[in-house]
Amino acid sequence: MVDGSAAVSFCVRDGITALSHLYQSDPLRVLFPRPEPREPATGVLVTTSGGLVGGDRLNVTVRSGTGAAGRVLGQAAEKIYRSVGDDSHINIRLEVARDGWLEWLPQETIVFENARLRRLTVADVAPRARLLSGEIVVFGRTAMGEQVTKGLVREAWEIYRDGRLVWADAIHIDETLKAILGAPSGFDGAVAFASLVYVGDDAAAQLATARDLLAAVGHDSNLRVGATHLGDVLVVRWLGRETRRLREVYGGFWATFRHRLAGYPQTMPRLWQI
Amino acid sequence: MPKTTATITAMATDLTVTGVDLLRVLAWFSPAFPVGAFSYSHGIEYAVEAGLVDGRDGLVHWVEGAVTRGAGRVDAALFCAAYTAIADGDEADLIWAIERGDTMRATRELAVESFGQGEAFLETIRATWPQPHLDRLVQIASDQQRRLAYPIAAGAVVAAHGVPLAVALPAYLHGLVANLISAGVRLIPLGQTDGQRAVAALEPVVLEAAASALTRPREDLGSAAPMIDWASMQHETQYTRLFRS
Repeated sequence: MVDGSAAVSFCVRDGITALSHLYQSDPLRVLFPRPEPREPATGVLVTTSGGLVGGDRLNVTVRSGTGAAGRVLGQAAEKIYRSVGDDSHINIRLEVARDGWLEWLPQETIVFENARLRRLTVADVAPRARLLSGEIVVFGRTAMGEQVTKGLVREAWEIYRDGRLVWADAIHIDETLKAILGAPSGFDGAVAFASLVYVGDDAAAQLATARDLLAAVGHDSNLRVGATHLGDVLVVRWLGRETRRLREVYGGFWATFRHRLAGYPQTMPRLWQI
Repeated sequence: MPKTTATITAMATDLTVTGVDLLRVLAWFSPAFPVGAFSYSHGIEYAVEAGLVDGRDGLVHWVEGAVTRGAGRVDAALFCAAYTAIADGDEADLIWAIERGDTMRATRELAVESFGQGEAFLETIRATWPQPHLDRLVQIASDQQRRLAYPIAAGAVVAAHGVPLAVALPAYLHGLVANLISAGVRLIPLGQTDGQRAVAALEPVVLEAAASALTRPREDLGSAAPMIDWASMQHETQYTRLFRS
């Protein structure tokens, strides 16, 4: 049974963000590609086991210290394989200290037939700190036309500000997946589901920015997008019947939104584009 | 939590309804109770405009989704949590329920819908059927700086007045169904008889949703109706609107 952990902390040293703490245990590895100009300090998370089976656990903690600007992304899509009974757990903890910036950029998580995934992302964002985070779940290897019909998928979020719970959300699918993916009030035929969660003092004000960007792309029944905000938390959701298109639109939004929020380059990391 | 489970089991098997309990759930979860339910569509206004909800069968399926997999599923579980916390005098559990009720809101308008009804419900009950547990509930929410979601207010009120959970929860969920069908009848539009056919078709759905809420473990709290959340997000910018959600 896999029980891997990774912890990454960024801090400011001599005026620039540097790595201040790193812990990694199999099957997790963190790589640090050569810094790119005007970009936050970046870590790349690698799962060397190639995917999770029932009973496996991954724990990831990423922290941006006071005034630090960090970014962590996955190296490749995460695969959750069939389970004979036990759940696969992924626990993500994101912490951003005062005046800090953290980007947690997902690659898609591919859920196989009869997989049992429980993922929880917990974030604590201090005053004047900002977090741009997300997740993408894909039901089956959609490029091969595979459809999943059974399994457990739990995708949960808990957002804290300065230690106080301000928003909680959980998609929890534990009946026949097939019926829920097809139901008009469920996924209405979507096979990919993505979230972007931005936390910051300016979340309410940035809702107009997010909606302008979404309106520019437009939506139809094959790709639905929407945004809302609850206090300091801005949430954008995508529901797509075509994984590839959802991913492209998601990446395009992320790149532009980070630029509008913090002035970073309007691009996605090269690894994400593969 | 053996104590809570025992309470729920006892409640679930006690289907005896006393006269006063029956009259109270009829009054409290009636569309006439002044919580402003008529002004909330739970995103159905957008779903109808976008063609996602069309005709009686479409409305029945959409509302079934809202009750069994959407906010109804989360709120039924929170209703039970608030109920057992009051019935068992477990203040830590009550704080947990209040906190989840305050934060588990998928969109801004769905939050407005829940807090608006929860606070109006409690204010009216405290003015008409006062009970010391309810003063304590309001005090805790104020101390914790939390809004009171409708399922928390409703679960606490029925527990404080000793209405059996097995009677109160289906009544609460039926109120939700009746309100969403009423919104659909006005928006699609449907005839009043068709509206009641929809309500009749959803009877087993309400009972099933109430029964499954009693056994749902806390680690499984959540929804599986992202299209309803999406419709609610779209409603926030809908140009012509009659409803507040």
